[in-house]
Amino acid sequence: MSNLFPKSANKLPLQILIFIGLTAGIVSAGITYYATPKYTRVGYAPTQPVPFSHALHAGQLGMDCRYCHSNVEKSGHANIPTAQTCMNCHNQVKTDSPLLAPVREAYASGASIPWVKIHEAPDYVYFNHAVHVARGVSCVDCHGKINEMEVVYHSKPLSMGWCLDCHREPEKFVRDPKLVTNLDWEHPGGEKARIEEGKKFVHDWNIQPPQSCSGCHR
Amino acid sequence: MKRKFDHSAPADANAETPTGRRYWRSLDDLAATPAVQAQMQREFPEGADNLNGVDRRKFFKLMAASFALGGVGLASGCRRPESYILAYGKSVENIIPGLPLYYASAMPIRRNAVPVLAETHSGRPTKLEGNPTFSNYGGATNAIVQASVLDLYDPDRATTHTLRGTAANAARILDLLASLGTEAKAANGAGLVFLAETSASPTRARLVAKLQRELPEAVWAEYEPVSDEPPAAAASAAFGRADVKPVYRFAKAKRVLALDADFFSTEAGSIGYARDFAKGRRAVDKNVDLNRLYSVESTFTLTGSMADHRLRLASGHLLAFTAALAARITGSDQFSKLSQGLEFKDQEKWLAACAADLLANKGASLIVAGSHLPAEVHALVYALNEALGAIGNTVDFVTASAPAAAGIADVAAALNAGSVKTLVILGGNPAYNAPADLDFAAAIAKAGQVVRLGYHVDETAAAARAGAFIASAHYLESWGDARTADGTIVPVQPMILPLFGGLTELEVLARILGESKPDGYSLVYDTITGINALGGIGGEKGFRQFLHDGLLAGSAYTVARVSVSAPGVSALLAKAAPPVAINEDSLEVRFTVDSKVDDGRFANNGWLQECPEPMSKISWDNAILVSPRLGAKLGIEPGGSLFQVARKETATFTAGREASFIGRLTVNGRTLEGPVSIQPGLSNWTVAVALGYGRTVSGRVGKDVGINAYSIRTTDGLAYASGAKLEIDLARTAQLANTQEHWSMEGRDIVREANLDEFRENPGFVAGMGMEAHSPAVYGDYKPSEFAKLSREERARITAERAVTTPRGGSSMETPNFDGVHQWGMSIDLNTCIGCNACVIACQAENNIPIVGKDQVMRGREMHWIRLDRYYSDGKLEAAAFGGPGNVILPEDPQVSLQPVACMHCELAPCETVCPVNATVHDQEGLNTMAYNRCIGTRYCANNCPYKVRRFNFFDYNERQLDKLYLGPLAPKGMPELVKMVKNPDVTVRMRGVMEKCTYCVQRIQQAKIKQKVAAGASANVEIPDGSFKVACQQVCPVEAIEFGNIKDVNSRVSLAKAREQDYALLGYLNIRPRTTFLGKLRNPNPEMPDYVAVPFSRQEYNTKNYPASMGRGHGDHGHAAGEKPHASVGSSIFGGNS
Repeated sequence: MSNLFPKSANKLPLQILIFIGLTAGIVSAGITYYATPKYTRVGYAPTQPVPFSHALHAGQLGMDCRYCHSNVEKSGHANIPTAQTCMNCHNQVKTDSPLLAPVREAYASGASIPWVKIHEAPDYVYFNHAVHVARGVSCVDCHGKINEMEVVYHSKPLSMGWCLDCHREPEKFVRDPKLVTNLDWEHPGGEKARIEEGKKFVHDWNIQPPQSCSGCHR
Repeated sequence: MKRKFDHSAPADANAETPTGRRYWRSLDDLAATPAVQAQMQREFPEGADNLNGVDRRKFFKLMAASFALGGVGLASGCRRPESYILAYGKSVENIIPGLPLYYASAMPIRRNAVPVLAETHSGRPTKLEGNPTFSNYGGATNAIVQASVLDLYDPDRATTHTLRGTAANAARILDLLASLGTEAKAANGAGLVFLAETSASPTRARLVAKLQRELPEAVWAEYEPVSDEPPAAAASAAFGRADVKPVYRFAKAKRVLALDADFFSTEAGSIGYARDFAKGRRAVDKNVDLNRLYSVESTFTLTGSMADHRLRLASGHLLAFTAALAARITGSDQFSKLSQGLEFKDQEKWLAACAADLLANKGASLIVAGSHLPAEVHALVYALNEALGAIGNTVDFVTASAPAAAGIADVAAALNAGSVKTLVILGGNPAYNAPADLDFAAAIAKAGQVVRLGYHVDETAAAARAGAFIASAHYLESWGDARTADGTIVPVQPMILPLFGGLTELEVLARILGESKPDGYSLVYDTITGINALGGIGGEKGFRQFLHDGLLAGSAYTVARVSVSAPGVSALLAKAAPPVAINEDSLEVRFTVDSKVDDGRFANNGWLQECPEPMSKISWDNAILVSPRLGAKLGIEPGGSLFQVARKETATFTAGREASFIGRLTVNGRTLEGPVSIQPGLSNWTVAVALGYGRTVSGRVGKDVGINAYSIRTTDGLAYASGAKLEIDLARTAQLANTQEHWSMEGRDIVREANLDEFRENPGFVAGMGMEAHSPAVYGDYKPSEFAKLSREERARITAERAVTTPRGGSSMETPNFDGVHQWGMSIDLNTCIGCNACVIACQAENNIPIVGKDQVMRGREMHWIRLDRYYSDGKLEAAAFGGPGNVILPEDPQVSLQPVACMHCELAPCETVCPVNATVHDQEGLNTMAYNRCIGTRYCANNCPYKVRRFNFFDYNERQLDKLYLGPLAPKGMPELVKMVKNPDVTVRMRGVMEKCTYCVQRIQQAKIKQKVAAGASANVEIPDGSFKVACQQVCPVEAIEFGNIKDVNSRVSLAKAREQDYALLGYLNIRPRTTFLGKLRNPNPEMPDYVAVPFSRQEYNTKNYPASMGRGHGDHGHAAGEKPHASVGSSIFGGNS
């Protein structure tokens, strides 16, 4: 065999192994970083048919989230408002704005405005807004500081592991349900006091977030 | 760089059929659609099929670029395709996206209706539940009601109106109807003939009355191929009035004699009857007094399977039987002539004991005759019921409307006489189901003009192609009204606008009559407010209340004071002939109403077609059913199986395929060919054929399924006919999809049964059965026999304790502790279960379970999450393995044990330990969950499941056409839009390659929990109150056999059910601790009866197998419990007390 292969070939198996190891490492590192929701979803900010500014409405004007997302306390879906809801104000305010033309058209015709979906759970995930809001999980925990967003973007990964972070340690996130739509709220006693209070809530309200499949998958 | 995949459907797929809805059970031939080419485009990324225009150089350039940009592509994000949220432009009242809305409505069928609550999601109905406000049914429905929602989205339903075969718009149809009316008025209605289905709709009655007033010469005829109410002639003879009909009060009946009556499924109001019957059958404790059911029947019905004493007798001999019984009950021999020639085993003893039992319970006994029996039987039964003091107690006669004067024979005569200018056929399918001697399809052509209102393009539409075809609206798209079997007026409300612009019967009639407001709403509104004005609250408010409640309270038929006129009955019976001879040379043919497709109207419903028939377990077919004795005579008695030692096959099975010989059935000179299947329990010389199959013009599901029994059914033998011959062609066989080839329990303790007297002595009899009864305790500290001796409270407490503390293990990953707020469990009462299949279809509707088609069922791949096992037993388990010669004949008089089986949610689930990917694991509340996304389809779990309740998606049944499953990616893919609409949005639609099974309706559990938590808010009150939700099978069950709830709560209904002494776990010795347990079955035979057996047959077989020493000690017919003693008492040793 030595006639066929040069001496340097003796190192070949090792080189191949190292190469494979390196490649596998780089590929898995790359996938872990680039192909997980943390990277792929966060920051997604599609252009919407109407340049609606949450920073203006929810931030500057101080409108409550539930004025538009009116069914969030009843339904699993936090509904996108109908054009009629927009027109409650915009038949008085900025009635001629060309930016609002799609809204006026939708209201007149009854057709839908094709809002681009930003936060999207897969079909096999049955996330429910109502129960989270009712039990003291704030909008900000999943959606970020919407009230400061000119254009809404995907601010948290919304991956299963990320969901479980909270379901395993709810005390870090729960707050008084009255405060869920106050996106700027911070515990007056600081982070430590907040967790202390969270622990109390978890105990007092018998909070047992589901950690098994049946909680979200049906 | 983003790769863009285009999954949109090719444009020409829609162009070809304007509706674009290709059903997933398509029998389209491949050539008819350019599907192959189109599919290539859909299956692969856009551009993949454009390679022709790319030269080699460009190809490499592109490839290099894509490799180079691969990383960049990742960097810029592999995002799912953009999707949209389409909120309403204008807010819609009451609709909250994501929450269902419920509306009260009713499903009308013949002269009755089932009140329902329709669950709608964003305006589309997906599921029907019974309306609990109608207390007779208590929120229960049946399989047909459950499946009716699928008909709404049937891609094969008629979608266009046609005039002389070409599509016509609605305006032309309305013009046609209006001109019809004006022309008819000019002629006083002469030459105008209506043929409609029967109906109890008050609005229709109002319109028909108006029609008869304004067009006196017009003929209004009604026809139903099968009847579910006794013939009016019986009431005329017995009471002198045709407008009364019986309504049975089974809840008050202690002794019931059913004469060929299947009041569990084919009689009007059967849901309420089953429910009431079960009330007298529920063994809540050992002091209970159960009702007793005698059944005399020719076929094997569900009612017969529940009977404590069942006599097989040809339908043609039932008049003779009734006459003989009348002699015993009344003591007069007035009708002895009629019973001449009646002969069955132990006749005298049978009749005497049965009559004595009925008489001993005077006022609490009841005789029910099947609706299909002749008026003579009914009149005699009315007289007997009066003699038994039943009238006013266990049966009430109510004033309903008399049936229409004219029938289909009158219409056929008029057509043949050429006197019909215009024939209006409202619904029905007379060209298919009219008596064969009328040759109605040919007669239709003799009408000057035919206007047909139909839901499907069917045989009648084909026969009347030259006329006008009006697409009918589904009842879930219609305004209407109806009456339940007891007469309560119920609304039929539309859940959705007619998908294809269909019209209703009421609208067609109103147009012809020239009503000023011919829309359905106005018609119904006028009728109901008219009635309301009489009753008190009238007008708009009363109507709203009516719609809200889903019924008009207090509108039931009034009970008529009737008394039997003896001369009337005698006069009717004087004309009756003594029974004809029925023997092997002159067979009787019994035409039965199918429990699935009814009279054929649901033939295109895939859910119903795939549901196995409760007794024969045949799906996707009907067959010529013969008794074992006739089978043996015909030489088709099949051999035994290599695998099962102690039985004979009912047919030759190969891997789930029943190979049936083709028979040729001849009656009245008409011949029907079809597969022959042996049905134990059939009257010896009666051959049963279910109606409703063999459709030649139907949708893709219903066409050419089974054989058409209407083709040999004539006017003088609508329900049964004698003088038939059956020949067998031993050279030809057909394959039937039979889901249960195994009919015997093999002496095992699957269904644990006892007679009532044993139960009274020893309510915990179930604990003495099964291997676990004799081994050291497998479940906690108590052996089952010791456990059964504890008090109920104690048992409930221990069960609740065990639910949270049982050690679990075996899974490769840590399983959660059972520390949830609730612990779910189910109890199924085998004593009340009638095996009606309602739960099977309810589960299918709730959980998006696909149908798989006949070919796949034959491979054992049906997907039903809950199945009904049917076992026959005859007590003669004496196979070679147990020291006997083996069964030498098929059982002719078997007892039947029925058992619904779904995932038991074992606490120590064997499926979980073998799953390599943890796709099936437990949750904190004791559910055995199935994470579809984790499943890689090894099927180890199904292999390891002792109950065989796991179902595997061998193909993408939802996305693929069932006749093209084996074409793989070459076949068209995608679910028709119309079929998508029936899916429950709260349940995942599973794909190919994943396992699925009963989830205990986890979506309902979670919704209930969420509702409770939302209500709890900042408080700890998160426990769901007992009974605040029901799982699908529980909700539909007419006999309330299923309880579901929190077993941690010792006072919940399910805990109370499980604490009953006769609670046992199926295959309990495996120690897998199923959360679903069963309540043992009881029989209540009469010791005086000749066919009395002291111990149920299945129990005798159990004893024979497990205690061979008891063999020959005279179990069986001799009426001794000797061989059973060791098991009748709990805690006895394995070698028993009788040795």
